[in-house]
Amino acid sequence: MLSAAAFLLGDDVQRFAVRFTVAFAIAYGAWLLGNWAHFAAVTPAEEAKFGISWSFRLTNEGGFIVALLAGLVIANFFPAFAAWLKAAIRPELYIKIAIVILGAFIAVTVAGKLTLASSVMLRGVAAIVEAYLIYWPVVYLVARKGFGFSREWSAPLASGVSICGVAAAIATGGAIRARPQVPVLVSSLVVIFAVIEVLILPIIAQAFMAHEPLVAAAWMGLAVKTDGAAIAAGGITQSLIEAKAAAEGVHYQSGWILSVTATVKVFIDIFIGVWAFILAYVWTNYVNPRPGAPKAKAVEIWERFPKFILGFIVTFAIALALSLGAGTDASGRLTGAVGEVNLLRVIFFVLTFFSIGVMSDFRRLWQDGLGKLAAVYIVSLFGFVIWVGFVISWLFFAGIKPPLAS
Amino acid sequence: MAKSDLTDELKAPAEPLLPIEKKLIGWSLGLGLVLLAVLLLLNWIVPLP
Repeated sequence: MLSAAAFLLGDDVQRFAVRFTVAFAIAYGAWLLGNWAHFAAVTPAEEAKFGISWSFRLTNEGGFIVALLAGLVIANFFPAFAAWLKAAIRPELYIKIAIVILGAFIAVTVAGKLTLASSVMLRGVAAIVEAYLIYWPVVYLVARKGFGFSREWSAPLASGVSICGVAAAIATGGAIRARPQVPVLVSSLVVIFAVIEVLILPIIAQAFMAHEPLVAAAWMGLAVKTDGAAIAAGGITQSLIEAKAAAEGVHYQSGWILSVTATVKVFIDIFIGVWAFILAYVWTNYVNPRPGAPKAKAVEIWERFPKFILGFIVTFAIALALSLGAGTDASGRLTGAVGEVNLLRVIFFVLTFFSIGVMSDFRRLWQDGLGKLAAVYIVSLFGFVIWVGFVISWLFFAGIKPPLAS
Repeated sequence: MAKSDLTDELKAPAEPLLPIEKKLIGWSLGLGLVLLAVLLLLNWIVPLP
């Protein structure tokens, strides 16, 4: 299937197949290692079950972190191997397949609690406002006035920090007619900082927000950039918080934390096309009007719309309709079927983590010039975006708890 | 883009903010704050069941 996707994307299928096989073997091996009981067992009962006396209690989602670390080792210590693997390193493709599958999982999870789910979705609107209308202008202002960046650099940088990382930086670069290298360099920074966020924020969430699981979930969606990293952070946060709650005797119905993170992220993604069009209109008509140069057209909204969202909506709608129309027996079978498909989602998550790691060559940060770009990113992300994200998540999601497992 | 090109570019004198950029920043922030206030009000008026 992936070879077919590679063919449709214009890749050399044979080269992709060979390198993907190697990448998959390493990533899945790392995932298996992360599921070793000494890493993954959480409760004393699990430790007793596996006959061990200690564990890092990382849950089985710790396997994602091991996959990420494997990728980081390759990127930073074996750059020639990382370059060889490059044809199979496609985190955006893998996470988008995972998100489409996630649509069915979310539908089955929320089918019995539609009131709560619709309320959560309504609160997701705040994320759109926050990303586009609060984060973006502030980061753009910081880049332009605080660091003296040109407009060509500041706009993709603001979109990368504020919206959803790589896709937004590239869409904005195209919209303002920036040189292709600009969004690419911004994207490399986005990926590197997303890795740092994935490693840190879920642990902070578990330590300080275990009693507000959906605040933590929304925070991951708002603070962690790139779809892959955000949803992966949601998955890790879910495992860590559910494990901590379970240790206190509270058993949440699994899936809600990840669902909220994914909802927030998808809501933000929906408007990339609209925002890119607004920027294109402003740039081609006012900021950088060139006689004879093509102006922004409304069709760009559709061209820049992330099409995987359609896949997400379709799987969500089909699974929700089937869940609501099914009897008890059929509903149980449907949940089982979605659970089977969910294993595929996990595999694509593992591939996403590994790919993000392979793309994160930290030596880039030491390159001349990138340090200044990184400084804007650090100031904006750690000085503003994650804190405002936390406050807004708290205002809209505090007190809302996932349903308890029956 | 070569490293030296990027360094030169980033060391170039800052471009002043154009009036349209100020408008874009101002309107975005203003609209964002108003919409957030409206959503918060709705959140308060229609609490979760």
